[in-house]
Amino acid sequence: MREMEADVIVVGGGAAGLAAAIAAAEQGAEVLVFEKANTTGGCANMAMGLLGVETKLQKDRLIDCTRESAFQKFMDYTHWRSDARLVKGYIDKSASTIAWLQDMGVKFALPSKYFPGSEATWHIVQPKTGAPGLRAAATMIKAMTDRAEELGVKICLDSPIQRILKEDGEVIGVVAKDGEGEISAYGSAVIIATGGFGDSPEFINKYTDYEWGKDLFSYRIPGLTGDGISMAWDAGAASDRMDMELVFFAPNTGGYAPVELPFRQPNLFVNLDGERFYDEAVVENPVFSVNAIARQRDRVAFSIIDDAILHQYEKNGLDLINVVTSNISMDDFKQEMQELIKNGNDVLFIADSIEELAAKTGIDKEGLEKTIADYNECCKFRDTMFNKNPKYLKPINGPKYYALKFAPSAYGSLGGIRINYKTEVLDKDNHVIPGLYAAGTDANSICNPDYVFVLPGNTLGFAVNSGRMAGENAIQFIKEHFSE
Amino acid sequence: MNQVKIEIDGMEVYTQKGKTIMEAAEEADIYIPHLCHHPDLHEEGGCRLCVVEINGREESHTACTTLAEEGMSVTTKSENLDQMRRLSMELMLANHVDDCTTCPKYLKCELQSLIQYLGVSTSRLRRTLNAVNVETGNPLIIRDPNRCVACGRCVRVCRDVRGVGILGFHKNEEVRTAVGVNGGLALAKADCRFCGACVEVCPTGALQDKKGTFQEGNREDVLIPCKQECPAGINVPKYVRLIKEGKYEEAAAVVREKAPFPKSLGLVCMRFCESACRRKEINGAVSIRELKRFAAGHDTYRWKEKSVFKPQTGKRVAVVGAGPAGLTAAYYLAKSGHAVDVFEKLPVAGGMLSAGIPDYRLPAQIVEEEIAVIREAGVKIFTNRKISSLEELKNLGYEAILIAAGTDKGVRIPLPGAELLNVHVNIDFLRRNLLSTPMELKDSVVVLGGGNVAFDCARTAKRLGCREVSVVCLEEEGSMTAGEEEITEAREEGIRIYNGRTFVRIIENGGKAAGVLCRKVESFTFDENRKLILTVKEDSDHVISGEMVIFSTGQKPDLESFEELTLNPRGLVETDGSGNTGIKGVFAAGDAVTGTASVIQAIAGARKAASEIDRYLGGDGNIEECLTEDEEVNGFIGKAEGFADFGRRTYRCISLDQRKDNFHLMTEGFEETEAICEAERCLQCDLRPRLTRSRFWTEYQYK
Repeated sequence: MREMEADVIVVGGGAAGLAAAIAAAEQGAEVLVFEKANTTGGCANMAMGLLGVETKLQKDRLIDCTRESAFQKFMDYTHWRSDARLVKGYIDKSASTIAWLQDMGVKFALPSKYFPGSEATWHIVQPKTGAPGLRAAATMIKAMTDRAEELGVKICLDSPIQRILKEDGEVIGVVAKDGEGEISAYGSAVIIATGGFGDSPEFINKYTDYEWGKDLFSYRIPGLTGDGISMAWDAGAASDRMDMELVFFAPNTGGYAPVELPFRQPNLFVNLDGERFYDEAVVENPVFSVNAIARQRDRVAFSIIDDAILHQYEKNGLDLINVVTSNISMDDFKQEMQELIKNGNDVLFIADSIEELAAKTGIDKEGLEKTIADYNECCKFRDTMFNKNPKYLKPINGPKYYALKFAPSAYGSLGGIRINYKTEVLDKDNHVIPGLYAAGTDANSICNPDYVFVLPGNTLGFAVNSGRMAGENAIQFIKEHFSE
Repeated sequence: MNQVKIEIDGMEVYTQKGKTIMEAAEEADIYIPHLCHHPDLHEEGGCRLCVVEINGREESHTACTTLAEEGMSVTTKSENLDQMRRLSMELMLANHVDDCTTCPKYLKCELQSLIQYLGVSTSRLRRTLNAVNVETGNPLIIRDPNRCVACGRCVRVCRDVRGVGILGFHKNEEVRTAVGVNGGLALAKADCRFCGACVEVCPTGALQDKKGTFQEGNREDVLIPCKQECPAGINVPKYVRLIKEGKYEEAAAVVREKAPFPKSLGLVCMRFCESACRRKEINGAVSIRELKRFAAGHDTYRWKEKSVFKPQTGKRVAVVGAGPAGLTAAYYLAKSGHAVDVFEKLPVAGGMLSAGIPDYRLPAQIVEEEIAVIREAGVKIFTNRKISSLEELKNLGYEAILIAAGTDKGVRIPLPGAELLNVHVNIDFLRRNLLSTPMELKDSVVVLGGGNVAFDCARTAKRLGCREVSVVCLEEEGSMTAGEEEITEAREEGIRIYNGRTFVRIIENGGKAAGVLCRKVESFTFDENRKLILTVKEDSDHVISGEMVIFSTGQKPDLESFEELTLNPRGLVETDGSGNTGIKGVFAAGDAVTGTASVIQAIAGARKAASEIDRYLGGDGNIEECLTEDEEVNGFIGKAEGFADFGRRTYRCISLDQRKDNFHLMTEGFEETEAICEAERCLQCDLRPRLTRSRFWTEYQYK
């Protein structure tokens, strides 16, 4: 078998892995990155931006979200289920990470909120051309890849890892495989950063409360098969809380598709019994919404509107906007609606009566009729059920009724490998496995139990920051254990 | 002077006269963004991503269509160029869906890598292409027009490299140019050869292999599924092509490169290759085994001139068991220069090939012919020679020992009545003549089990004159381990098959077997310890009568003589996967390691073990040999009218009358014309990995 050697070996060349590699190489380490795809960046190629708190960009714009308040918000949101020191370390590091990326040539658009009630922590990458939206972070990946190579990091593409090598309880390297066969790569520290298990229905079915394709229609970014997590477990790592990074979409439309635009609004939402189940003003927070939807029969919900609401949105704009959908217009909606009607679909339903809508959607007819009658009544006074903000109370009167089916979805997975606040991997007794580190989504169990949408940019933010930490910690470990 | 010197981004680069700037840059490992350029295709300069500046010339030029001229100074990287490239990208992205996450090409997509390289997120232009349905109708190739950027690589490769030419640019109803099949036909109707070249060169997710067509892994391996799935790695497309070209003896030699039993394999191979054959998705796999039989039948043995024999090493190896595993290992070890003695407890060599599989499937004489070649290589075979211990062999001075004892102990399930008179186990029954076992044949027989050996027993009994023969097994029809043809042919011969039964006890009549009490099974599974868990139907007990009962419910290895070996819970020899048993100098291969498997798996395991033993004895472990010339493959395959409809042919069975009461070979292989027709059906999957793989920006030295 061929052999390679380095100080630090990084498994996965995504955002976390590249950050780890750069951080280690900046301190003079020889670094090897094994990436199974043909190019770097993993799911960050679809991402938009990352969390930063107290960055210069924020200060310049008088955005006064402090480290202390962000930490407080994070811990309040997660009820101290998350590793507080890991969260603290991550938030405190985030501003310097933004500056670190800017030094590499990454440019950021305005720090953004996700929705009006959230903080403006989301540092969306400014691409060279195009909107600072979908795929913007691919531009950051180019800069990180260039920086890594400039520092002498060797990136082996098309080279999946087969297993982690251990000797006397310590991790000593990995076995990788490329076009010519297997390679033993030895290193003083190994950092796992393979991006989670979003593309593994087996993992999803086994380790989360969902079954992919049945009650979960999440993104399946090819390659996210949980392989790094399995290998870490095989090497003795304990598991940590595993879940999906839940949001809700109309099944099989791609996620935040234009057709969702007028339906992702605070109008009437019902379940299959035709009953309301939450204050629809909460719709702007995808996590809260999906939690509510997941409690309903078959884990589906329908957003119902009529012509009057559609016309109003076309004329005056939407009630709620968020950063992801802000680039989409009602024209895009109309075009996609036409295409869906033409090509056939099972999520968008249009009917001339409530009865017909019930028949088409499978919603209980009596329940739906009663709910719409009650709801229309509420629209005249106030929402006696959930006390929804009166400005969002728009009656549903036809003549055409539109319903869009929503179901749980997810951007990817969260968690799998248990780490401590130094990003060291722990075994089942919470002892450190010497030489083994994990970063990014494989080890993201800080969003516990829910993705912290009030501080947007957490997935990529945790990836880059925990990656950077892992790279630095690995160097510290090597200095302490391997220098004469 | 054939060479020109140019300067690219300040570097001196030499190239052949007549080459383009792009080619010169590629040779120097300098990245110039490109999409419609592909090294195997003629240039079109359509995507305009490869624009470069040339000193002294106005305007920019596409590197793929501009010849390198002596003294030229080229700039490939500048803000101005990147701006032009980004505009070109935006033009393409305007017609490409924004969402990459659902695309199987994610991170294997050249367009996506260009998004990274050039820093373009989405297009500012209005979408000009309306969403259309993804075409999933074809069983092999998926076409997603929403991801097509009209680079035309597929059109060029199909027309210019393959000579098929069924793809072209068409205007759709919105008067937009898009790639489609000429005449708007389905691929099969357009006489697509399904070579996959179009998918290979597609830089985006517009053309995809249907999920599951190929395994994950190294491109050179997985793209040729038949070769990859063959345990011994026989180069199937090569011998199929040689048959098509009428080079039969070379075809036989290709099989011979990996396996010393081509004729036997041609008759009884389990053909993992055919299960993997892509053609099965169109209209049935290529009859690869029959083609192998045809080739082996035309062997002239001239390959022997090329066969490698290494100098004698003076080392001695003992092999226990003369089945396909033992003899294969012996053959390669002898060729590696070692003195090899094979010890066989039975009176004949060949293992299950000669003392298990009945003659009507594989005549003993054919096996003997193949063994003769092995003997000729210097292997000594001692029959009627049972080894009683490892010690015995060590005392005889052998430096290495291979245990290839097979699994020839039939399993008698401990049911009440299992020891009654006229109850037998499969292997004893099949070897009754060979070992002169006294066995009274009866008029009616019940065979318990649903594998190939059960059918061997049943069909043998039928041929011996048993009137009523029943096969009873746990599995339902679709999940029996016996081959489909085996089941069909047995039915034709009048054998009754009872599926979904479990056996309660053997019915007794005057101390003799009289039938089997069975119970119907609703479902069954195996737990972690491979223990059977049954759900039975209430009140479903019934008797299937027969005066003779044969257990064919699995076999175990006979390893009593070798108690030093570590066995796993299934009673099989534990090895490290390369044949090492953990005892120095003692190796194992074949069914004794894998459990009852196939001939080709035994051969594959034996090749590994032989290589390992050779290394142990000081050799290099290389047993590979090349008995045929490297092929000059012409990828210009041209169009073949009605290609998708070329129907599968296979062997012919001798008529029922002529086969049911004797043990003559019951099948007839291909005539020459049939073989050629069948070989013509091959999709030639091995052409695809010969196309140059596109490189991404990340892979260049200067980017």
